[in-house]
Amino acid sequence: MTVIDAQGLVKRYRTGGQTLYALAGIDFALEPGEFVSIMGPSGSGKTTLLNILGLLDTPTEGTVLLEGQDVTGLGDSKRTSLRKQTIGFVFQHFYLLPTLTAVENVEVPLLLDSDPGVTKRARTLLERLGLGERLDHKPDELSGGQKQRVAIARSLINSPKVVLADEPTGNLDSETGRQILDEFRRIADEDDVAIVAVTHDDLVNEYVDRTVHLVDGTIGRERKNGG
Amino acid sequence: MAGRFFPAALMARRNLTRTKMRSLLASLGIVIGVVAIASLGMFGVALQYSFTQNLGDVGNQLTVYPNSGENVTELTERDIRAIRREASATATVSPVMTRVEPVSYNRGDPVRETIYGVENPAELYEAQEGRVSPFRTGALVGSSVADEHDLHPGSQITVNGTNVRVQAVLEEGEPFSSTNPDNRVIMSTNSFSQRGYSEVYVIESTGTAANETAMGIRESLNEREERVFVQELGSIVDTIEQQFQIINTVLAGIASISLLVAGISILNVMLMSTVERREEIGVLRAVGYQKRDVLKVMLMEATLLGVLGGIAGVVLSIGAGLAINHYAVGDAMAVFRLPNAWYVGAAFTFGVLTSIVSGLYPAWKAASEEPVDALRG
Repeated sequence: MTVIDAQGLVKRYRTGGQTLYALAGIDFALEPGEFVSIMGPSGSGKTTLLNILGLLDTPTEGTVLLEGQDVTGLGDSKRTSLRKQTIGFVFQHFYLLPTLTAVENVEVPLLLDSDPGVTKRARTLLERLGLGERLDHKPDELSGGQKQRVAIARSLINSPKVVLADEPTGNLDSETGRQILDEFRRIADEDDVAIVAVTHDDLVNEYVDRTVHLVDGTIGRERKNGG
Repeated sequence: MAGRFFPAALMARRNLTRTKMRSLLASLGIVIGVVAIASLGMFGVALQYSFTQNLGDVGNQLTVYPNSGENVTELTERDIRAIRREASATATVSPVMTRVEPVSYNRGDPVRETIYGVENPAELYEAQEGRVSPFRTGALVGSSVADEHDLHPGSQITVNGTNVRVQAVLEEGEPFSSTNPDNRVIMSTNSFSQRGYSEVYVIESTGTAANETAMGIRESLNEREERVFVQELGSIVDTIEQQFQIINTVLAGIASISLLVAGISILNVMLMSTVERREEIGVLRAVGYQKRDVLKVMLMEATLLGVLGGIAGVVLSIGAGLAINHYAVGDAMAVFRLPNAWYVGAAFTFGVLTSIVSGLYPAWKAASEEPVDALRG
């Protein structure tokens, strides 16, 4: 089943007397296990699209179906619950809580649920991502690549259907970037999680199934990798 | 691990340790506020306590005076009988005459003094030296008079030219009682030529009985005209206690200004913290924290600051209370009396409440930020 199916997305902003189109009619669908990158110049609407797909923002026009369910008009509280159940986020600046250890950071999305299995699951995820030695380290004791692995583990703690990544390699050198992209590829293939990465980094395109190019809020050319 | 059961508390605690100095200073405000309220409250209680200690057991005493405003200059035997009727069977009713005479002690120059005539002084007083009864011809002197003029049983004083032998020096009386004999010279009523009395003491067994008797006396003697004026020491004590209550409230009010300042400092700290952690809070919202979850975490921080400051404040207050009670009442352990517990408890509660209230606005501000805006950087 299609994980996300967005049709005719339009996002308008009014600033002063002008109307700005961040998105000007976009169709976007995502299948399970698919790794897709969204590229485009600054201001092309990449982040807006990602926010709408991640239920952080709502479109002015168009519909978003999440696993077949129309989520377009939902209120803040319902969208928040759906984010918690089905979506994982990875950010360019990692955004780990500096006061919590690696394991605790991974637990954060489910921390208020008092679910006794969460810690075990967080440790397993970190071990899978090669951070078995750094479970109880605080973020300032971790390298950039290690922080991003913690962030990836955090995005997976709720067993999401889709992970949305905003410039996931933006703060990493190319070697570390490759390791992170390998992890994404593996997660997409092994866990059947759909991944959308917004990026400027051409390196990403070596790992994805397809790349969507955005230009001025519309979809430009689309390229499929490996046929 | 407490963090397992109170995950919001875990996050809040860690957040506070991030800026230790700032958190410490913020809760120091609460500490000062709690100590101020509690110790001023306890100071008031100690004052009141030492006052009532001095006041002693006077709540059960009445004094009946003739009302000179209505041209009643003395109380008659009939009045005394009426008072005895109103007083309960166990009460002591002691009518007193007064006259002013030149008195000289130790053959010095005569001074005009009030001589008190009491029929049966044994029912009011006990002797420090000598014997109070039987009482016919001599004089009884209060302890202050005796000290001043070096009088002892057997000493001679001269009253209006007649030598009178001092029969006893009386025990010190209660400082605020109208029967207090310390500055008095008392002689038998036989030595008085007049018949009327200038005051009547009624001593009941309880304050309530004294109050009822006072009402009864007013009713029967003041029926047609305001013949007498009844002074109840109990009601004076009540008035004074009310005054103390007002003083205490004012003191606590002044002290709570320091809590207000503490609250503003917590508000400030929390606002700074929400600005600094804007993205972190945005991430929390993105990964599925509801607004109320963010609110909970932030309020937990404010609560922890308050509880921390409150506990430190209570400990310091008890220390201050020990000192206050040591110096004011002479018994440091008096700090563990109920009214003090009330003040300390109230100070702690106000401290914590102030923190929570101060945390409300920053917490609400943090919770209502759109995650999209927070994460835009």
